Parts: sequence; structure tokens; C-alpha cells
Amino acid sequence: MTSAVTIPRHGGTGGRTAVAARARQVVKAYGSGETRVVALDHVDVDIARGQFTAIMGPSGSGKSTLMHCLAGLDTVTSGQIHLDETEITGLKDKKLTQLRRDRIGFIFQAFNLLPTLNAIENITLPMDIAGRKPDKAWLDQVVETVGLAGRLKHRPTQLSGGQQQRVAVARALAARPEIIFGDEPTGNLDSRAGAEVLGFLRRSVDELGQTIVMVTHDPVAASYADRVLYLADGRIVDEMYKPTADTVLDRMKDFDARGRTS
Amino acid sequence: MTVMKTSMRNFFAHKGRMALSAVAVLLSVAFVTGTLVFTDTMNTTFDKLFAATSSDVTVSAKGASDTGETTSGNGKPPVMPAAVLAKVREADGVKSAEGTVFSTSVTVVDADKDNLSPSSGAPTIVGSWNANEARTMKVTEGAAPKGSGQVMVDADTADKHHLKLGDEIGVITAVGTHTAKISGIAAFQVTNPGAAIFYLDTRTAQETLVGESNVYTNVNVTAAAGVSDAQLKKNVAAAVGGDYKVQTAKETADANRKDVGEFLNVMKYAMLGFAGIAFLVGIFLIINTFSMLVAQRTREIGLMRAIGSSRRQVNRSVLAEALLLGVVGSILGVGAGVGIAVGLMKLMGMTGMNLSTDDLTVAWTTPVIGMILGVVVTVLAAYLPARRAGKVSPMAALRDVGAPADAKAGVVRAVLGLLLTGAGGCGLYLAAAADKAKEGSLWLGLGVVLTLIGFVVIGPLLASGVVRVLGAVLLRAFGPVGRMAERNALRNPRRTGATGAALMIGLALVACLSVVGSSMVASATDQLDKSVGTDFIIQSDTGQQITPQAVQAVKSTPGMERVTEYKVLDADIRTPDGKTSAKETINAADPTYATDLRTETVAGNLADAYRPDSMSVFEGFAKEHGIKLGSKVDVDFKDGTTATLTVRAITSDDVVIDKGAMYASIATAAKYVPADRMPLDQLVFATAKEGQQDAAYTALKSALHDYPQYTVRDQTDYKQALKDQIGQLLNLIYGLLALAIVVAVLGVVNTLALSVVERTREIGLMRAIGLSRRQLRRMIRMESVVIALFGALLGLGLGMGWGATAQQLLALEGLKVLDIPWPTIIGVFIASAFVGLFAALIPAFRAGRMNVLNAIATD
Repeated sequence: MTSAVTIPRHGGTGGRTAVAARARQVVKAYGSGETRVVALDHVDVDIARGQFTAIMGPSGSGKSTLMHCLAGLDTVTSGQIHLDETEITGLKDKKLTQLRRDRIGFIFQAFNLLPTLNAIENITLPMDIAGRKPDKAWLDQVVETVGLAGRLKHRPTQLSGGQQQRVAVARALAARPEIIFGDEPTGNLDSRAGAEVLGFLRRSVDELGQTIVMVTHDPVAASYADRVLYLADGRIVDEMYKPTADTVLDRMKDFDARGRTS
Repeated sequence: MTVMKTSMRNFFAHKGRMALSAVAVLLSVAFVTGTLVFTDTMNTTFDKLFAATSSDVTVSAKGASDTGETTSGNGKPPVMPAAVLAKVREADGVKSAEGTVFSTSVTVVDADKDNLSPSSGAPTIVGSWNANEARTMKVTEGAAPKGSGQVMVDADTADKHHLKLGDEIGVITAVGTHTAKISGIAAFQVTNPGAAIFYLDTRTAQETLVGESNVYTNVNVTAAAGVSDAQLKKNVAAAVGGDYKVQTAKETADANRKDVGEFLNVMKYAMLGFAGIAFLVGIFLIINTFSMLVAQRTREIGLMRAIGSSRRQVNRSVLAEALLLGVVGSILGVGAGVGIAVGLMKLMGMTGMNLSTDDLTVAWTTPVIGMILGVVVTVLAAYLPARRAGKVSPMAALRDVGAPADAKAGVVRAVLGLLLTGAGGCGLYLAAAADKAKEGSLWLGLGVVLTLIGFVVIGPLLASGVVRVLGAVLLRAFGPVGRMAERNALRNPRRTGATGAALMIGLALVACLSVVGSSMVASATDQLDKSVGTDFIIQSDTGQQITPQAVQAVKSTPGMERVTEYKVLDADIRTPDGKTSAKETINAADPTYATDLRTETVAGNLADAYRPDSMSVFEGFAKEHGIKLGSKVDVDFKDGTTATLTVRAITSDDVVIDKGAMYASIATAAKYVPADRMPLDQLVFATAKEGQQDAAYTALKSALHDYPQYTVRDQTDYKQALKDQIGQLLNLIYGLLALAIVVAVLGVVNTLALSVVERTREIGLMRAIGLSRRQLRRMIRMESVVIALFGALLGLGLGMGWGATAQQLLALEGLKVLDIPWPTIIGVFIASAFVGLFAALIPAFRAGRMNVLNAIATD
């Protein structure tokens, strides 16, 4: 259905397709028979490369499930998901783990960092696990961008919530993944710290050509995205380009109203 | 009531997390109950046996022991003339009386000269078949022995050695070797724990065992109707006069029971000691479990406090959980203990000791002791964590506690630990420097206990240092996974410390004993090399004396330059200071013994002690009694008359072999001890002619083939035998310590399993950002290895310190050489790494199986 494709801005990736990830007829169901619950109901979606995509929807709409499936954290019941040219549905755990490690970055809502490692160790962890040396210049740039230069030796407990999320953003960026997935990355932050983190994400798309998918229920957060997908009852019911907080909020009010009348 | 309800719910909600603690309680309680049930059962078995075998009143020769066991130095049982029997029969109240002959100084062989004696240490008894025996033995095959050519054997021995009617049996005694054919097989009507019993007819028994006819070792008296045993004893004693020992059935049984009871008690307390060590180790496991449960539940506890629970209520709810754990673990433990007892009985059955499950004795005190021990230890162990739970502030409910904050080991701990360790170190130093063994062992005990407690207290602090070093050496190679394993081991030093300390205790004991054991071997070997000037040592490994026939066989072996006989005589010694030292022993040997064992003297020449009416004393004895060369001492030989001997040599106390021996020649002893009462040889030393050692060794072995009870060893074999003997003892102790080590390993598993649960979200996160299952498992395994190695390092270090101190102290007793058994120590260290790997198997597997999404979502 959606074919919103923008010109790739990702440096040095000219050979890549314009679609960073795509889902085709993805179904995710739990249980069977009477108790069967469908979380994703034949979802088709393309995630454009070099864009910031937000996924919104009420609780239970399947937005988190969709993100988890796209990120290779969860398996699908049927349908296919491709990350670039790689089909990830049907991959074994080992391959999936490698894929997450090398090609995907994560920012979770909370508990993003290992308490035993300091900030810089947390940032380079995915590369360390992979046995790769981080690109020093890139790392410096990322650290600079998220403004953590003075706190690299701090343990997570010594950092504020906002700083912790910035470390998480830096970790996601440092390995230069094809896509970064954020699961309500600002859900636990106050509006100022949240705005800061969202600003970084926006800049990484604009300046570094990063592809980002973010699940959120906050219209303000969604307004930082290039495109907003709306999910309800496991289906994509709408989308919006160049959103603002107000337009997102209005659209959500519409859904709520429709939800109540239907 | 709510407290109890929360405790119950918590207990059952976390029963998986409690499982290993319950197993630890179970194992310790089971070992205690098992020991008690087993020893009680042994006691019952022996009680029944002794009650069944004692006649109403037994008369025995004066020299016999209270148990009626009939052995004396000359290899023949003490006897009384047949006339005693006639006197007994005339006494009032005697229904019947019969004379019997028994001896335990015998060796019985089959036609191939293979020893039929039990290897379990139970006696071999040869005696006359009589009415008293017939009460407890039933002839199941063939007939009772008649005439000198027949012998009857007990059914258990016949079974064990596949003996049939008509097989030839040889009975070897100090009199000679008597052969007979099996005429019958008799079965015990009560459980016979393992003695091998052979019956001859009375006359043959007299001649074979004593070499005289018309003598008895015992007279068994049966009371007439209405006469009590005590009355009968009085009557019989009056009839036979004061030269004989008269005992009622009860007295005989009691004496027997006391004899066995002493041995059983030693075994019981030794086993309980090891159970105690297991309990001690289990305490660490329980403390860790509850600490972790409390830590994981901090928010929940904070909420309870916030809505109004008092500290005491929180405290009590944790203790109530411990109580439940203790009760469940102990009940299971008591049950398992009975199983262990039955298992031990079966095990003893394999070594030739028959115990019947019909006699299984569970005293009412046994489960009570097991339950109380289990419950009290568990609750005490949970006390500290419970107190910590009580201190949780209500604010904890509001704070976002992801994982519990890293617990910093405090200054108090450091100071206390250092003080204790320091004090313990001083104790050890004083022990090593002590010049009196008694005083030194006190210091040693104190030092061991204090250093152990000190190490336990300071363990968490050492953990940071030791783990870092281990990490630097071992884990760096594994890159980021190794680094995370190291950090994980370090993040809660108290937990790592306690887990390692549990392993430390068992391994410290292993290291200490291995050092002492190998120092013993090294010292003895060193001494043998320095002082032994003979080629072969002939001795019985079961402590039997050497019969004159066997000595003759040695002497007539070709290629011998000299053969030295060596006897031990009991004597009271009156010294010039007017004191009498009772129950001393004189080592009487041929003069060549001074060459066979070159003992240093502090005064005089040892060879002179073998001159007529001369002797030597040892340094300590000389000092104590003011004896100088030329002093006269009165030696009152128990088996003979009093001799006045001149001291011509004073031997050094700085020896291992024959320490505290006082030598005289056999010829001197023979002047005062009549030939028929002269003890048999304890040892015989043979020296081959120059260059004929090998041939002589072979010849000597074949010459002694007919006497399987004796072993001949050259110096190499002797050293090996010594080593084997100590090795066996150590293995037995290691086996018993294995229980404590198993509990400690459970502790490692427990810590890891609970850590994995605690770090669920972290694990989920790491998996999400790309840590593979294999890397995750490796990380947990390495954490486990590091904890195990930490415990091993501390334990081995501490144990070697103890062992070295003990050696220094025992140097006073001749343990001159310190020998650290590096292969054992390094082997244990490496094995600990594998134990760590093994302990991590299940926790690592479970961590690997965790669902990434659920793990991340875990609160």
C-alpha cells in the first residue's frame, strides 16, 4: 500500500535500495482457536531509508509488536520481513542475533545500559561483542553530537535519565546500523530531556542519513518524524507526512472518536 | 497472621530459588541423621550378637580381657586347667557347665594358602564347638567337627570364599599349622557383622590353639531354674577361688559393647564432624539466597513498609520463610538420612561387614536432632539478611531500583577481618615456633579458626583484588565477554566472597591435610633413608605377631646375612628417682637391630644397650627421671620377674621411627621372662648378603607363602606401602569432605542461578543488541570459573598455611620435612575451574533460553 520513498541521503550507500526494511502480509497471532489474539493483521509496510518514521497507535494496537518483528526481536506467524535485501523471517537465532548486532541499533524506553560498564564501554558494546574495532573518528563525532564527551567514564548510575538515554542513542549510532529502532525512547524523560534526545535523533537523520523507526504515543515526539504510521487493531490505518504535534493530536482525536462510535 | 501469609506466598512463589538452599539443608541433615541411624544400627546389631553369645556366667583365666577376647603376647590364649570345670560343676545353682577353648590369635587359610580372615578388621575366631555356640549357630550343612581332621566354618565365610564340605583348611597359630577338612557349615541365628569363625572339637582346639590338652580358655556356666546370674556368679566365684575371672552374661556383653562402642563412637563423631563442616558451608549458601531474595524484593519490602509494616514484621516475615525452608529441608533430610544409613550398610556389606536392615534403628532422638539442627541453622543463617530487610526504607518503594546497587564492603569489615586474620596469623606463628607440642596445638587450633573466620570476613574485600588479578590473567583473552564476566563477579563482592568462602572451607582442609600427609611420607622416607640399614621388613598388616615357625622360615631362607627379631614387652619401670612408670614397653631385639636401625644417641653407644642386663632409654624419659649412663632401673616384666638393668645408652628423641623406644636384647629379656610366656616377634628384619638382595627378596617371599598374614617388603615397597596407607587415609577424609564441597558447589550454582534471574533485563538487553547465546553462556561460565577459582585460591592458600604450620609443630614429633604436594594443589586448582564450569551449566543454559522480549519487559 504505502510507497513513500525518498531519495537516499545515506552517505556511501548508493548501492542500497531506497527501502531499508519492508514487511509483507505480516501476521502475528498469539494463542489458537477461541483464545486467538491477532496482534498484527496482514501488515504491509515499507520503511524508507534515511527517514525518521514514527509508529503510533493506542495501547494494544500492535505498534510495539510491529517494531519488535521488524527488528528481529520477535518472530512472525506468517508473512515476510526484509531488512534491505535480507529476509529475516525464518532466520535462526544465531543469524538473527548477528543481524541485530551488526545491522540494527536499539534504544529502549528504560534500562538501556549495563550497570557494570561505563558510558563509553556501553557505547562500543555492540562492536566489542562483534569483535570489531570502532571507527575512532566516527565514534568521536557521535559522542560529540550527543554531548557526552565529559562523561564517558561515568557508570550509568552516575548519569541522569536524559544522559543515560543519550548514551543509548550514541550506542545505537556508533555501530552505524542500517536502522535504529526506538521503543518509546523518551517515555521516561521529562519534556526538556526528551526534546534533547529527539533532537539528536532528528539530527542523525538529517546530518548522518540515519534511518530511524520509533514507537511512541506522544504526539510531540511523533512530530520530530518525517512520517507517522497509525496502527489500530493490528492494521495500518493511516499515515501522515511532515507531521506537527497539532496535526498528530488532531488525527488521534479522530481515531478516538471513531473508536468510540464504532 | 498477614506476616505468615506473605511469608508462605513468598516461599511458594520463589520455591525454585529456594530449591538449592533446601538441598543444602537436606544434605547436611541427611548426613547427620544417616550417621546416627547407621551407628545406632551397628550398636543394635552388636548388642543382639553379644546378648545372644554370652552364657549366663563365664569363667575365664585371669589374664583374659573382660570381653573374653583371648590373646596374649606369646600368641596363645590364657588358659586354666581342666580342674576348674569340675569345681564349677559342683557349685550351687549350676545347671550345666562346659569348658571351651577359643583364640583370636590365629590365621586361617584355604588349600591355596589364601587368607580367609576378614579384611574388614573383624576378628578371626577359632574355637571348640559346644553347647553355648549351638544356641546361636545352626549346622546347616554336614555335621559338627569330630576328631582332629574336621573343621566347621560359619556360613558367611563359606559363602564369601566359596568353601564346600571336604575343602581343606589350615589353622596357623603360635603352636603350628593344623590342617583339617570342612565337615560342616553353621549359620548364625543373629546378624554376625563379619567375624570369620571356625570350630574344631574340644580336644583338637586345645592342641591346635594352646598346644596342651586339658586346658580351657573359658567355662560357660548355665544357671539352674530360679538362680539369678548374679547369684550364680557369686557361687561360682566361691567355688573356683580368686584366681579366675567370673562374669555374668550382662557383664560380658557390656564389656564387649564398650569395646565396640568406643570404636563406633570415634567413627560417629568423625562423621558428625564432617556433617558439621557441610552445615557450615550450607550457611553461606542460605545467607546468599536470602540476601539475594531480599535485594530482589527491595521495592516490595519498601511498599510493605510504606503502607505501615513495622521493621519487625518485615524481619519476621523473612525469618518465617527461613523457618519454612528449614522445616522442609530437614524433613526431607531426615528421610534421606535413613536412606543414607541403608546405603552405608550396603556399602559395608561390600567390604564384608554384614548388617541387616531388620536391625535398622531409628531412635526417637535422631529425627528430633536432625530437625532442630536443620531449622536452627537455617534460621540463624537467615538472620543477617532478615535484619537487612528490616532496614529497607519505605522510600525504596518509590525509587526505581533496577538492579540492586553494588554493595560496598565496609571499613568495619576490613578492620575486623584484618584483626581476625592478623590474630590468627599470630596464633599460627606461635604454633610454628612452639617447643611444646601440647601448647603448640592449642595455638594451631586457635590460629586455624581465627584465620578461617578472618578470611570469611575479609573475603568480599579480597574478592575485588583476586578477581581482578584472575580476570587479568584468564579473562582478558575472551575480550568483552570476559570483561563483563569479571565485572559481574565484582559487582557484588559480598556475594562473590560468600560463595567463594563456602568453597574455600572444604578446599582449605583438603590442602592442609595433603600438606601434612605428604610431609609425613617425606619425613618418614627421609628417616628411612638415613637410618635403616636392613633390606627387608616382615610384619603383619593386621597387627598379628609373628609365629616362631614363620621366623624360622625367614631364618632358613638362603642368601641372608642376618635376621633380627624384635619383640615388645610390657613392663613397669622403677627409676632411680623412686618413681614407677607403669605400662611402659621395652623393645627387646637382637643386638643386630642397632645396625638395622641406626638411631642417634645423645649419650653412650647404642650397641652397648644390647649387652647383658643393659638397656637404653630415650632422651625425654632420661630427663624426666634424672637417668644418666650407668643408672640402674628396675624393669618389672608383666610376663615375668623384675630385672635390674643398667642404662648404657640414651637415644635421641629427634627420630620418627621407634620414637620413645627403650631397647634391651632379647637375651636379657629371656633371663626374666619364661620361654612359654615370651611374646612372639612383632617384627622381623632380614638383611641379605651383599649383592644378593633381589634373589633373597624372591626367596623370602616364597618362604613366607604359607603365612599369608605376613608381608615382606624391601625398602622401596615399604615406602610405597607407607605412602599408600597415608594416601588411603587422605582419600577417606577427602571423600567425607566431598559432602562439604558438593554443598559449596551447590552454592556456586545457586549464586549464578539467582544472579541470572536478577539480571534478566540486562541479559535481555545484551541479547537484543547482539550478544549471541554462546557468548552469553560463556560469560556466565567465566563468572562461575572466576568465583570458583577465587574460592580455590583462598582455600588452597589458607590450607597450605595451616599445613605448613602443622608440619612445623609436628617437627617436634619428628615431622622434619615440609613437602608441599604441588601436583595435588595444582590439580585441585584446575579441578576447581572445571567445578566452576560445571556449576554454570544449568544457569547458563537457562539464561540462554530466556526469551529476549520477555527479559527486556521484566520489571
